[in-house]
Formats: sequence, structure tokens, C-alpha cells
Amino acid sequence: MYVFANAMQLLALFCALGCGALSLRALWLGNGGAATVTLLEKAHWLVTGALLLASSLLLNALYRHDFSLQYVVSYTDMILPVFYRLTAFWAGQPGSLLFWALVVGASGSLFACAPSYKTLQPATRLWYWMFFYAIMAFFTLLLSAWSNPFVEQSPVPPDGNGLNPLLQNPGMIFHPPLLFLGYGGFSVPACMALAQALAGGRGDEQPWFRLTRPFILFAWGFLTAGIVLGAWWAYMELGWGGYWAWDPVENASLVPWLISTACVHTLIVEERRNKLHRVNVCMMTLTTISAFFATYIVRSGIIESVHGFGESAVGVPLLVFIAVALLVACVTAAAAPRRGKPLAALESREGLLLLLAWILSALAVIILTATLWPVFSKFWTEAPQGMDAAFYNRVCLPLGAGLMVLMAACPWFSWDGGLRRKKTFLALSGGLVCMAGALWAFGYRQPTALLAAAAAVSTLLGVLLLLKESGFRRPAALGAHTGMALMALGIAFSGPYAQEQDMMLARGESGAVGQYTATLQEITGGRETGYEYLTSRLQISRNGENIGVVAPQRRMYDKFGAMQFSEVDTIPGLGDEIYASLLGLDSDMRVMLKVSVKPLVNWLWIGGTLLCLAPLISLFVSLRGPKRDRAPAYSAEHRDMGEARDKPASGGEGHVTRKTKRKRKK
Amino acid sequence: MAREKNTLVYVVALLLFLSGVGYLAYSAFTENSVYFLNVAEAKAVSPDKLTSARLFGSVAERGIEKHGMGVTFYLQDKDNAVQVIVVSYTGAVPDTFKPGAEVIVEGGMGAEGRFMARLLMTKCPSKYQKENRKT
Repeated sequence: MYVFANAMQLLALFCALGCGALSLRALWLGNGGAATVTLLEKAHWLVTGALLLASSLLLNALYRHDFSLQYVVSYTDMILPVFYRLTAFWAGQPGSLLFWALVVGASGSLFACAPSYKTLQPATRLWYWMFFYAIMAFFTLLLSAWSNPFVEQSPVPPDGNGLNPLLQNPGMIFHPPLLFLGYGGFSVPACMALAQALAGGRGDEQPWFRLTRPFILFAWGFLTAGIVLGAWWAYMELGWGGYWAWDPVENASLVPWLISTACVHTLIVEERRNKLHRVNVCMMTLTTISAFFATYIVRSGIIESVHGFGESAVGVPLLVFIAVALLVACVTAAAAPRRGKPLAALESREGLLLLLAWILSALAVIILTATLWPVFSKFWTEAPQGMDAAFYNRVCLPLGAGLMVLMAACPWFSWDGGLRRKKTFLALSGGLVCMAGALWAFGYRQPTALLAAAAAVSTLLGVLLLLKESGFRRPAALGAHTGMALMALGIAFSGPYAQEQDMMLARGESGAVGQYTATLQEITGGRETGYEYLTSRLQISRNGENIGVVAPQRRMYDKFGAMQFSEVDTIPGLGDEIYASLLGLDSDMRVMLKVSVKPLVNWLWIGGTLLCLAPLISLFVSLRGPKRDRAPAYSAEHRDMGEARDKPASGGEGHVTRKTKRKRKK
Repeated sequence: MAREKNTLVYVVALLLFLSGVGYLAYSAFTENSVYFLNVAEAKAVSPDKLTSARLFGSVAERGIEKHGMGVTFYLQDKDNAVQVIVVSYTGAVPDTFKPGAEVIVEGGMGAEGRFMARLLMTKCPSKYQKENRKT
């Protein structure tokens, strides 16, 4: 049966290789014949269909407990609920690569069906399919040669290894596929960016970022959701009280997010001002390359991490692919024609957006360099060095606070330079200073956190004023900036101002953490399906007033021997959240507990949710709203239109070019 | 003319930005970089250099002593089990700490060749590595 699954993977591989070669031949001969393009436009169904069939067979094997497959044995067992069995599809490396390949294949097929694809010139189509099939060929080669989920084993074991209890959590189940949806979703925009840059993209063709806007927004939303969900899982499931440890695997997922966020902002400059074409081709390609590089860091075992992914054979092929892709991106960006105009002054909206992109890119470079430093330092020393968490906090948090200040200020600058709402800007700046002063007076004096929190409040006030000014016209920007400001508030307070206490308590004893007192009421034990547990029940009070009970657990799962697992409990709140984890029980029946007070931590999750949903809301609104006329990006008409659109909705000092004035006179 | 002026402003701003970020990163690097070593590599380094280091290894079967909020154990090299360092750690011991578990400790070398850890992390028993689930 799995011969068929392997055949499907091979079919996809040969089809992708053949079509890639065909498109390259047509481009080489300068022969963009209709027959070739038609064939390329149909063959993607074969690639996606073959991958879909292979995926269905893997899901079927997981559902039916088919332990003849090594993959099923490795990640499931007989008592694993069906939900976790099916989601084990992306639990291991081969399955997750198959899922990623399927996402890219489905995105390509979806794009080929979209009306926007029909507007492409034949040359652009050829280049697009060449890059798309190259990516698909690489994925299917990995699946067929180095990371095959359909490897069978004999004799067939009666049961599998099971899934680690720490991972039997909805947060962890949806964290990997969301990341892969994000990584995969950027492939179509990247292929289109390269294709249009190489084909010239003239005529009636819409620019790539408009044609692929839903893909960019969806991918960014999914990538954000994957990262936020991973942080939430770490906070709620691991019991160490934090949500980000600057571990190499965490950093690896943050780098594509930072580059893609920088790209989203430089794309706004291109969309509105018809500038930064080549920069954006580079940024979008780098986003996709960084997703592959993130996978390389995670899978190659090149860096020691607390995440035990282990070494695998896909490291070298991934590195070769990344090197080739980087070369292609550089050559394409260098070869692309210069179409833009010079940038406006630095103190303009486009200047500030560029500054924002610099900061995001600098963060990506610093995090990547610091993560790889143990590898680099091996070249000149036998005792390699790396960075601890303090390094990242010291460098990244001030830059993050700078980003928040830019986010608060940017909407009040005009595109051509200077302030477009001077009084509003001054009032918000005053508000920022007052907020910072108030925080200082209340004892919150950590400079970076203070600046970030004050800028976040100023951003939120600014969003309200923008809503009043122009309504719900830009839901993505308004939603994302609100979400980011709420997240910044959550991080600024729950990081430096968290209070934490490890305590050992006997029944009836109390321990203090900040203004709160935890009193151990009872210790109980018992058994549930598949595990034994120990629960400690703690009464939490503040200034003598009871505010609730937390009951953290320790669990001993039947399948995992002597290992114990912590189940955190919280008293959630929009102000302080009480967080408790049970660390153990000694021979005198005293429990070891970690009790923390996390101020404003839930705003991090609320803001994170809003940040993920903002792109989806934007797409929904744009689908339901009236369609705006869009002129081709590369025509003079568009350039005028871009300038005219800079004018604020409520009138005022929007820039009007001489050309536009001439048109208006006519 | 205005175009040239803008370009100059951007170049100067970029240089200032890079200088600022470079200084920030360099100053943080000089104070917050630590040695990243396997046990065998750490044994080869002079102990006075190991005032701040992150060591990678696995927990030896023998000599695990839990005491209140902490543990003392032998950290052995993953490839050469003969190479060991005694590690003392005070704090909450992770759930997955056990003989054979791969761990990361951060701290400094104390008296009598004992590594005083201020941080103890066990490798996440990820579903991506089945070896971690052998008990």
C-alpha cells in the first residue's frame, strides 16, 4: 500500500523537475509558447494532487494505528485519542515536511485559479512556474530521499511509543502547522516577486504584491499565530513561568517573522509611493529563505538547543538550497530594472517606515548572528562562545521600545515630509511623556519597559484618533498596531515586574509573594486514565482578602516511567495573574511550589490574538467592501494615483504633484 | 539638489543607526557572552576561564543527590561518558530531569572543580526525537 504513497511522492518529484526544466528551456529559447504555459498551468494539479494523496494515506495510517509504518510507531500509541493521532501528521520531521510541501503546492494551485493570475504576461508566468516547480522539486526530493514518512518496518510492533504528555496540548498541536502555513504561504509571493523582476512586469500587469496580497496577509497571520501559540504553550505547560527563553529554536522562528514584518512595511511604501521595488523583491525572497534557514537551524543539530529535535540528514540539502536561493535573490535584485523615485525626507512617513524596516532587519540580523555565534566562534577557537538570554534582552528590548515609539509617531507624519496633524502629534507626545512620568511616579522605573509602555499607550490613543478620523478604513494596520501595543504592554510589565517565589509548604502553612499570600489547604492524590496525579490546593489572598484558589498538579504518566509532569494553574486577571506550579513533595509531606505574580501578562495573549486576526479581518473587509480601482503599478498613471491617495481622508495637507494638478485642471 | 540632500541624510542616518546598534550589540557581547562547551571541551579549558559558561551533557546514572530545592549530579559528556563534571544546582528542578536526560547548565566553576549552576534546563522531550522517550 505504501508503495503507492512512495510512488505519489516520486510522481510529484519528477513532475516538478520536468516542469521546472520545461519552463527554463522555454525561457532560454525565448519561446514562451502558449502550449508550454498551458502544460505548466495544468501540471501543478498533478503535483498537488499527488501530495494530497500521500498525505491522505499517512492520515489513514495514523487513524488506523498502522504500526507497520515507522512514523506511526514513533509518534502514536493505542491509547492516544484520535485528535492527537491525526495531528501527529506534523509531529515528526518527515510528516511536517510533507505538510509544508502540501501547503506550498496548494497555495500554488490556489493562485493559479485566482483571477489575478489570469492578468499575468506569458513571460512572468514562465518565470513564476520555474521558481514554483524548483521549490516543489526540492521538497519532494527531501521527502523521497532523506526524510520519507512512508518507511515501513518489520516485524510490526503491537503498540507505538506514544506522544509525549507535554505535547498533548492544543497549544502545541496547532503551533507547528501554523508555523508551516506561514512559512509555506510566503512561497507564492516570493516566486511572483522574482518572476516579475526578471520578466520586466510591464504592461497591464498588476504588481506582485497586489496579486498575492491574500497570501502575504494569510502567511504573516499564520506565522504570528504560530509564534504566539508556542509562547503561550511554554507559559501554560512547561511550568517555568516564562514564555520566551531566547533559545535557538525560538529565535529561528522569530527571524522570518521580523523580515516579513519589515517587508510588509516596505511594501506599503511601494504600494503608496511606487518606490523600493528592488528592496521588496529582496525582502520577500529573504522571508522565504529565512523560513528554510529556520528549518535548517532546527533540524540540522548545528546548535545545541533545549528543544531536542536531534540531528537529521536534511541539514546539508537545506543549506545547499538556501545558498542557491540567496544567490538567485541577489542576482535578480541586481538585475531588476530601477523604476522608483528618490525617497522623501527622513522625517516623512516613508522615511519612518524605512527606519522601522531597518530596526526590524537589524533585530533579525542580530538574533541570527547571536544564535549562530557558537558555530562562528568555532572557526577561531576551540572553546566556542555563545550569548545568554541577558544579551538578547539588552540588545533587542531597547530596539523593540524604539519600534513602539516609531509606531506611535508614524501615522501623524505626511508622506512627503513633516507632520500632517501637528496638534494631534504634540498632544500624543505629551501623553507619552505624562504616561512615562506617571509610571515613574508609581515606581515602574525600568527605562526600556517604561518607554515601551508609554509608547504603547500613545499608540492605542492614536488608533482611537485614527478611527475617529477615517473610520475602519485600514483594518489590518489598526488591528495589528492595537495588538502590538497590547503585547508591548504585556511584555513591559510581565517581564521586569513579575514577582516569583519558590516555597516549601506543609498543610496550613503560608508563603508570601509580593502583596499576595499563598496558604496550602490540602494535598490530594489520585488516578485518571493513563496517569496518577498529586494536587496541591492553595488559597490565595491579598491583604487578608481571599481572591481564589489554585490547584497545580504533578502527573506521572503510565507510558513515561519515572518522569513527572507539571500542570500549571492560574487565577487569571487583566491586572495581576497568579501562576502556580507544583514542583514536588518531600518525605515530610511538604510540597515544593513556584508561585508567581505576573502583571498584565494576559494582555500579551489578547494583543497576540488581535495581531493574528488583523490580516484576516482586513481580507474579509476588502472582500466585502467596494472594489477600489487599481491602476497598473508601473504606469505613470499609477504614480500620480499613488500621490493623490496620500491625501488624508479628511482633507488637509496631502501632497499633490504637479502632474496631478495638471490632470485636475483638465 | 533636494534628491542629493535626501540621499545624504539617509546615508548619515543609516551610519548613525548602524553605529548605535553596533555599539549596543558589542557592549552586550563583551558582558553577556558565555562559553558554550561540551563536558569534554570544558575539561580541556582552564577552570579560571569558566567563570561564566553553558555546559551541554547528560545526567550520569550515579551520584544524583536531591536536596530540598536543588540537586547535585554528575554531568557526563554525550560522546565520552568517562569525562564528567560535578554540578550543583539550587532551584526548581525541571520535570524531565532524570538519569540519562540531556541537560544544559549555565553558571561558573566553583571550588574543588564543582560547577555551580544557576540555570538547569533539560532538553525538551520533543516529539521530533524518539530517543528522548526511552525510559
